[in-house]
Amino acid sequence: MTFEKEIKYLVGGPKFNFEPFEPFNNDVIKFLNSFSKELANVENLKDYPDLKSLSFWCRKNNFLNMKKNYNFSYARLGVGLIFHITPANIPTNFAYSLIFGLLSGNANVVKAPSKNFEQINIICRIIKKLLKNNTLLKDKITVVKYKNNQNFTKKLSSICNARVIWGGDKTINDIRSYRINERALDITFADRYSFCLISSAKLKKLKELEFNNLIKKFYNDTYLVDQNACSSPHLIVWLGDQCEKTKNKFWLKLHQTIKNNYNLTESAIIEKYSDLCKYAASLRNIKSIKNFNNLLYKIKLNSVDDKNHLNRGKWGLFFEYDLKDLNKLKTIVNNKYQTVTYFGVDKSIIKKFVIDNKLKGIDRIVPIGQSLDITLLWDGVDVISSLSRGLKIQ
Amino acid sequence: MEKNKHFLQKITQLNNYHYQNSIQYKKIVDLVYSSKKKIKLDEIPFIPAKLFKEIDLKSIPSKKVFKVLNSSGTSSGKPAKIYLDKENARKQTIVLNEIVSKIIGKKRMPMLIIDEKKNINNPNKFDAKTAAIIGFYMFGNNHEYLIKNGSIDYKSLNKFLEKYSSKKFLIFGFTSLVFENLIKKVELKKLKHNFANGILIHGGGWKKMEEIKISNKVYKERLKQKLKLINVYNYYGLIEQTGSIFFECKGCGCFTPSKYSEILIRDKDFKTIPNNQKGFIQLLSILPKSYPGHSILTEDIGEIVSNNCKVCKTNKKFKVYGRAEQSEIRGCSDV
Repeated sequence: MTFEKEIKYLVGGPKFNFEPFEPFNNDVIKFLNSFSKELANVENLKDYPDLKSLSFWCRKNNFLNMKKNYNFSYARLGVGLIFHITPANIPTNFAYSLIFGLLSGNANVVKAPSKNFEQINIICRIIKKLLKNNTLLKDKITVVKYKNNQNFTKKLSSICNARVIWGGDKTINDIRSYRINERALDITFADRYSFCLISSAKLKKLKELEFNNLIKKFYNDTYLVDQNACSSPHLIVWLGDQCEKTKNKFWLKLHQTIKNNYNLTESAIIEKYSDLCKYAASLRNIKSIKNFNNLLYKIKLNSVDDKNHLNRGKWGLFFEYDLKDLNKLKTIVNNKYQTVTYFGVDKSIIKKFVIDNKLKGIDRIVPIGQSLDITLLWDGVDVISSLSRGLKIQ
Repeated sequence: MEKNKHFLQKITQLNNYHYQNSIQYKKIVDLVYSSKKKIKLDEIPFIPAKLFKEIDLKSIPSKKVFKVLNSSGTSSGKPAKIYLDKENARKQTIVLNEIVSKIIGKKRMPMLIIDEKKNINNPNKFDAKTAAIIGFYMFGNNHEYLIKNGSIDYKSLNKFLEKYSSKKFLIFGFTSLVFENLIKKVELKKLKHNFANGILIHGGGWKKMEEIKISNKVYKERLKQKLKLINVYNYYGLIEQTGSIFFECKGCGCFTPSKYSEILIRDKDFKTIPNNQKGFIQLLSILPKSYPGHSILTEDIGEIVSNNCKVCKTNKKFKVYGRAEQSEIRGCSDV
C-alpha cells in the first residue's frame, strides 16, 4: 500500500497480532519491570524527569499493588487490538497509553507524537530490545509516527477492537469521523479543566519546611508541564477563613521557586502577556491583577460562573477566588472539570460536594503534588475494565 | 532632544485619548498597569501585537470604521484586525509618503511590483501584503506586476524593462517574494535588460529568510551579483502601525525611527534595557488613533545600536534579529 511509505515504525511493523490475553498477565508485569530497570539505567536519565517517573511507575510492585484493586469474580480477557492516538505535546504519554493496553490484556498500535522527542527514541529502543525474546508480546506492540496520514488512521480504525484517543476536542472529533467496527469501542481522554482548593487557615499553620515542600509540589503540578496538562490547575480557590498574609506568602514563595527553577522562553513571555491582556480586556469579573516579573501572573476574580472553565492559563497564569462555602461551586462545575488538587481541605468534603450535588465533572480528587500521577482510573474511566471483557459463566 | 519632548507630548496625549475612548484599552491599563499618570516614554503601557488577533480593539464607534486591515495570521490562523477611520487612513498615507520620499525622492517612477495582480473584492478589507502594495502604489506610475498565473511573466517584464530600465525605476515587494522570484526564479537568459537602474524597496519580515538562513547581507549580495541591483532598501514596520515605517540606513544597515515613531527594547521582565543589548522590541507611533496601536510590544527581538555612522547620523537606531525564540509547550492540552 502506498500510504505505508509515510508511516515510520519505531517498534514492530505492519504485521499486527490481534490475540488478547488476561489482564495483569505475569509476563507483562515482568516485561514492564525489565523496562523499568533498563530505563533507570539510561545514561542521561537526569535530563528527563519524565522518564524517571515512567521508570518508577513501571516497577513490578506498583503493578502488583494495582492488581490487588481488581478482584474480578469472573474471568477476563483483553478485547484484542487497541489503536492509541496519543497527545502531540507530551513525550511520554504514549508509553502510559501503551501500558494501559498491555495491562488490560491487549495488542497495541500506538501513534506516538510526530515531534522529535528524544524520550520517544529512548523508550522505543528499550522496548525493541526487550521484545526480542518475548513470545507473548511479539508483534503485539507497534509504535508508529506519522503526520496526517488519513489512510492509516482509517485502516487501523476499521480493524481495531478499541481506540484510545487523547487530545483536544478537535482531534477527538476528527478521529471519530473514521468508522470503527460495530463491536469496537472508543475511550476518549479529552481536554479537561482542573482547579486547586486550599485552606489558607490550614496553610498558615505549616512550618517553614512543610510550606516550602507544598510550594515545590504545586510547582511540579503546574510549571513542570508549563501548566498545560489537563490536570494542572488554572484556578486557585481559597476555601473557608481567609488569611491574606498566608496567601501572599504562598505566591511569593512560588515566585521564588519559579525564579530558581523555571526557564520561561521569549515566545512564551509574549504569548502569556497577550493572554493576560486578553483576559484583562474581556472578562468582567476581575478584581485585580498581580504580575511577578512575568514569571507568574495572578488574576483575582470577584465571582465565578459557568464559563469559568474557559479561563485557562499557560506557563504560570493563575486565577484565584476566595470562597466561603464549597457548595457555591455546584452551578459552575460541568463535565470539563477533571482534577481537584487540595490542601487543608478534607477530601471527604470534596467527595460529598461531588456526590451530593450530582455533578457531571470532577473525576479526580488528589493532594497537591499528585496532579500528574497517572492511575488506572483516569478521567473517570476504569481503564482495565473498559479495555477487557468479562466472561459470564454459570 | 527636541524630538523627544515633542514625541513624548504627542504620545502621552494619544495614550490618554485611547484610555478614554477604548473600553478594552482602559481595562488593560487599569488592571495590568498602575493607573498613575504617564510621564515618561517607557511608562506608556504597551499592547502585545498578538492581542489584535485575539480581540477587537477600537477607539472609534463601529459606524466610523472606514476599512479593516487583516494581517496574514499564519502562525495562529487568526488574522489581526486593524480598524481604520478615514482620518487615520489619510494620516498613514501622508506619513508614508513623507518617509519614503526621503529615500527615493518625490518624483514618481515606473514601478514593478513583485507580486500577482489581485482583484480586491472588498476594498475595505484586505491583508497586510495587499495593504503594503496599495500603500506604496502611489510612489510609482506605469505599474507592472511580475507574476501572472503563478509564474513569472517574462513578456511583460521585458516590455517593462525595455521601456524603463534605462532610467531609474521602482521595484516593490515582500522580502520573501523578492527572494523567491528575483533572487531565485528569474532566469537571466530570458531577460533582455538588467536591473541596474532599479530601486528596490522590500519589507514584511525575515521570518522565511531566517528559516533558509539568508541574511540581509547575502540577500543584497545576491541581488547585486545576479541582477546588478544595488539600490536596495529594506523597511521594518508593523501592520498595527502602518505609515510610520523604519528604513534601514545605507551606511550602517540599522533601522532609524522617524519623527512619528520611537523604539524601546525590553528584557524578560519588561524592564527597558540600555543600548547594545538584545530584547523585545516595543514600537511607538503617533499615527494610530482609531485603534489603540500607538504602543506595541512586538514578537521580534532587537537591539538599539550606538555607532558613529556618518550616513544616518542619528543617535537612535536599531537592529532586528527576527522572531523571539519559539518553543514547544509541554502538556496535553491543544487548545
